[in-house]
Amino acid sequence: MAVTPWQYGNVPGPKVALTLKGDVAGRIIKAAKKPLIIVGAEALKVKIGEERTLLDYAIELSRLSGAPIVATSHTLKAFLERGFKPAAVMGSVEITDRLRDPSWSIDGSEAHDLVIYLGIAYQLQSQLLSALKNFALHLKTISLDRYYHPNASWSFPNLSFDKWVDNLNMVLEVLSDGVGGKR
Amino acid sequence: MGEKGPMRFSFKSIKTSGLSLEDVEIAVGRLAIEEEWEPMGPTPMPKIETLRSWDMKLLKRYRPFYMPICDLCCLCTYGKCDLTRGKRGSCGLTLDAQQGRIVMIACAIGAATHASHARELVDLLIERYGEDWPIDLGEEVHVEMPHTRLVVGIKPKTLGDLSYALNYVEEQIVQTLAASHTGQESDYMDFESKSLHLGMLDHVAMEIADVAQIITFGFPRGDPEAPLAEIGLGCVDVSKPLIMCIGHNVTNSIDIIDFMEKSGLGAPGEMIEVAGLCCTAHDTVRYRKSAKVVGPISYQLRFVRSGAADVIVTDEQCIHTSILYEAQRVKAPVISVSNKALRGLEEVSDKPVDEIVNMLVTGKVPGVAILDLEKAAAVAVLTALRIAPLRKKFKVVPNREELVKIASKCVKCGSCRRNCPIDLPVDEAVSAAKNGDLSKLAEIHDLCLGCARCESACMREIPILSLITGAADYKIKTSKFKMRVGRGPIRDTEIREVGSPIVLGEIPGVIALVGCANYPSGGKEVAIMAEEFLRRRYIVVASGCAAMSIAEYRTEEGTTLYEEYSGAFEAGGLVNVGSCVANAHISGACIKIANIFARRNLRANYEEIADYVLNRVGACGIAWGAMSQKAASIATGFNRLGVPVILGPQGAKYRRLYLGRKEDLESFTVYDARTGERVWVGPAPEHLVYVAESREEAMVMAAKLCLRPNDTTKGRMIKLTHYVELHKKFYGTLPPDLHLYIRTEADIPITHKFEIMNYLKKVDWKPWEKPIVDPTLLKRLIRVKK
Repeated sequence: MAVTPWQYGNVPGPKVALTLKGDVAGRIIKAAKKPLIIVGAEALKVKIGEERTLLDYAIELSRLSGAPIVATSHTLKAFLERGFKPAAVMGSVEITDRLRDPSWSIDGSEAHDLVIYLGIAYQLQSQLLSALKNFALHLKTISLDRYYHPNASWSFPNLSFDKWVDNLNMVLEVLSDGVGGKR
Repeated sequence: MGEKGPMRFSFKSIKTSGLSLEDVEIAVGRLAIEEEWEPMGPTPMPKIETLRSWDMKLLKRYRPFYMPICDLCCLCTYGKCDLTRGKRGSCGLTLDAQQGRIVMIACAIGAATHASHARELVDLLIERYGEDWPIDLGEEVHVEMPHTRLVVGIKPKTLGDLSYALNYVEEQIVQTLAASHTGQESDYMDFESKSLHLGMLDHVAMEIADVAQIITFGFPRGDPEAPLAEIGLGCVDVSKPLIMCIGHNVTNSIDIIDFMEKSGLGAPGEMIEVAGLCCTAHDTVRYRKSAKVVGPISYQLRFVRSGAADVIVTDEQCIHTSILYEAQRVKAPVISVSNKALRGLEEVSDKPVDEIVNMLVTGKVPGVAILDLEKAAAVAVLTALRIAPLRKKFKVVPNREELVKIASKCVKCGSCRRNCPIDLPVDEAVSAAKNGDLSKLAEIHDLCLGCARCESACMREIPILSLITGAADYKIKTSKFKMRVGRGPIRDTEIREVGSPIVLGEIPGVIALVGCANYPSGGKEVAIMAEEFLRRRYIVVASGCAAMSIAEYRTEEGTTLYEEYSGAFEAGGLVNVGSCVANAHISGACIKIANIFARRNLRANYEEIADYVLNRVGACGIAWGAMSQKAASIATGFNRLGVPVILGPQGAKYRRLYLGRKEDLESFTVYDARTGERVWVGPAPEHLVYVAESREEAMVMAAKLCLRPNDTTKGRMIKLTHYVELHKKFYGTLPPDLHLYIRTEADIPITHKFEIMNYLKKVDWKPWEKPIVDPTLLKRLIRVKK
């Protein structure tokens, strides 16, 4: 059965994201040569545990995957309060703009091959993913947010909150136990 | 109307039997009688290609960034064409060009809408007041129409001159829109140049519309102490008959008020309430402050369903297209006065007033179209008086008990949320209401856009918007605020006062809060941003729905910002210019700074003025809830003039931004007009159109986008103080690009000097060799060439 976009009207065209589960997402991230994580302002609000927000999850994801984090909007302050220093602070449109360029990377060396988005408002994230889908052919993208993003290369399907958290944890399990992937 | 001209004939020499002349120029047409108030500049009535080179200078630095909302093209019968990832359509077009094309079409729609609005006003007002009616904006406004002078190249003196200027705008919109036909323009940069052209035309059209109504209807003429009017869903007296006017063309509201006053029914509010929604409300209270402003566009359906309106008069733009259906539900007749929105109604302009009133009062028809505005006004008033006792404010908003019962039909399928433009948790709120908890619905009321898409999607046909309205009943009744009415233009005297501190940077910037009400988290965010910048003594200007949202917020002192801050164009002033078309006064103020303060020639001198604004005038727009095509063209018009605009997250759906890249040093070089040298001046301003995720990000970015290459050291220090403080407040650190804006130690904010000096050491900062230049992107402005 085809997955419908979270926002019903958000039907972009013939090329839409493949859905995946957390373990597959974990293996894709693990297999990536130079992944990058982009974390938006929603990560400050979304709680995925009693004292754990999506931002805390992003920190864990970064530590396990080795992928640097770009903090967008005003997430930087919360990262620093947790003792975590993102690789850069940029607007979500600024970082996405630069990622179109196959010679650009956050550290100035080889280009990224995978970009992981989380915590950016659905409508905006969808547009950002569309820019990369169409104008950054060298890149793959994953959305780890709770709802299906057709403009990503891969996305979770629309999930209940509990299932989403399960899938997020599956990503971390794969990254931490060395299952699958090359890295 | 339809006047052409001017035509110019040049002759090297003319010799007849009795006459011998050399170098003769004969001009025929309106400009032939134009006084020589200023030498004609290089670009009178620019065509598509005239300012293309200026556009390309902007677009080279601020590259278009496309975010397609649809990967297909379905504009011709070759399609649908899949343009994904580099594919070309049957006509050969690529996806980037298609995005440029769609944005250009949006700008054409926006510009055409304002031009059409202006045309209706100008033609009607010429009919009523004569084409020689003078353009008089008072003693303190001599540069009466900066856009018209700048673009068209005329100094308009009468209503007739406005018609002439509008001819040019209309012709150019048609010419430019034609470029979007299949097989015409193919390059995305050229589509963008055309969007910029349309945006520029839009500002001329808006200026014409607003000046025409100011000079004829007696609106405030730049009065900083324009009166305060009432605004809010709860500001109307529901014991009186109420006529509600929705839209943007105020003429019908004014005719209604005039008819009431002539008929002994008094001013609005005495015997009959006259209330407005959206921009027509702004302009109605500019005419009579006793009229009421219900609120921005997002309140339409909620207010109609509350049953307060006895007659609904619609004119043009941004009116919910289900208005007739909604009005029928509450037994309120609709009168459409615009041929652009006839709504399937019978046109009865030729019928006698009494007959039309009878048709409406007896319910023979749900509404009528009346294109004779004076007749429409009489019908509206007489119908309201007769129908009010019959309908008894019939409403379709449930009371709290009914609400719980209706909500119990919800199966929590989630369709409401998944159709909500801003993803509000409507399903959870309705579900909670089933159990008697109405608090979540009441919370949603403050954020809701009022579009009713949730209802349309509900398979159980639950009237969700009515539930939201019912649950917030207690808030609505006390929703009464004060808004300073739209004051129109910025006075020349004010420009003389603030021109220098703005250009030198001592006033940290002009922040324009503009646009529609498609807010990601409610209108309160706009007011919070306004308050932050007012406290920091920026000049804050506002218009349209944003100006209304600012009013609907109380400070800690319990007053509105309009009551707390001055209405003057000064540091710490809050200036409501008026409705959408009054946006032209904001961009006009930037032009006037170049002209009045810096004495740059205005007449047909677009490039030079835009170059001045880009490099010297620290202004930045924030269109937090931009929704319409008009907002797209307004923003693009600001951009061509060199003014950056920040959009809310919904603005990403416009598909295109203009983003700079600060690491591209070459793109941020300018000529030093004194020497001709090409010099790097730092990324100021960094972007031309930007989307912020949150209001925190918007505030930090707005402070940064007010930086200009021409800032003095004192000015740069003041501007950087705000940028640093806002960055530290919301991001927790010094800005990571701070070193790019510090030219010498004198630029460093005193309050953070020690911390910043340490930072500068870490990034190996060196003082600039040429800290202050005379910046320009135009080679022709270099005074001394090396």
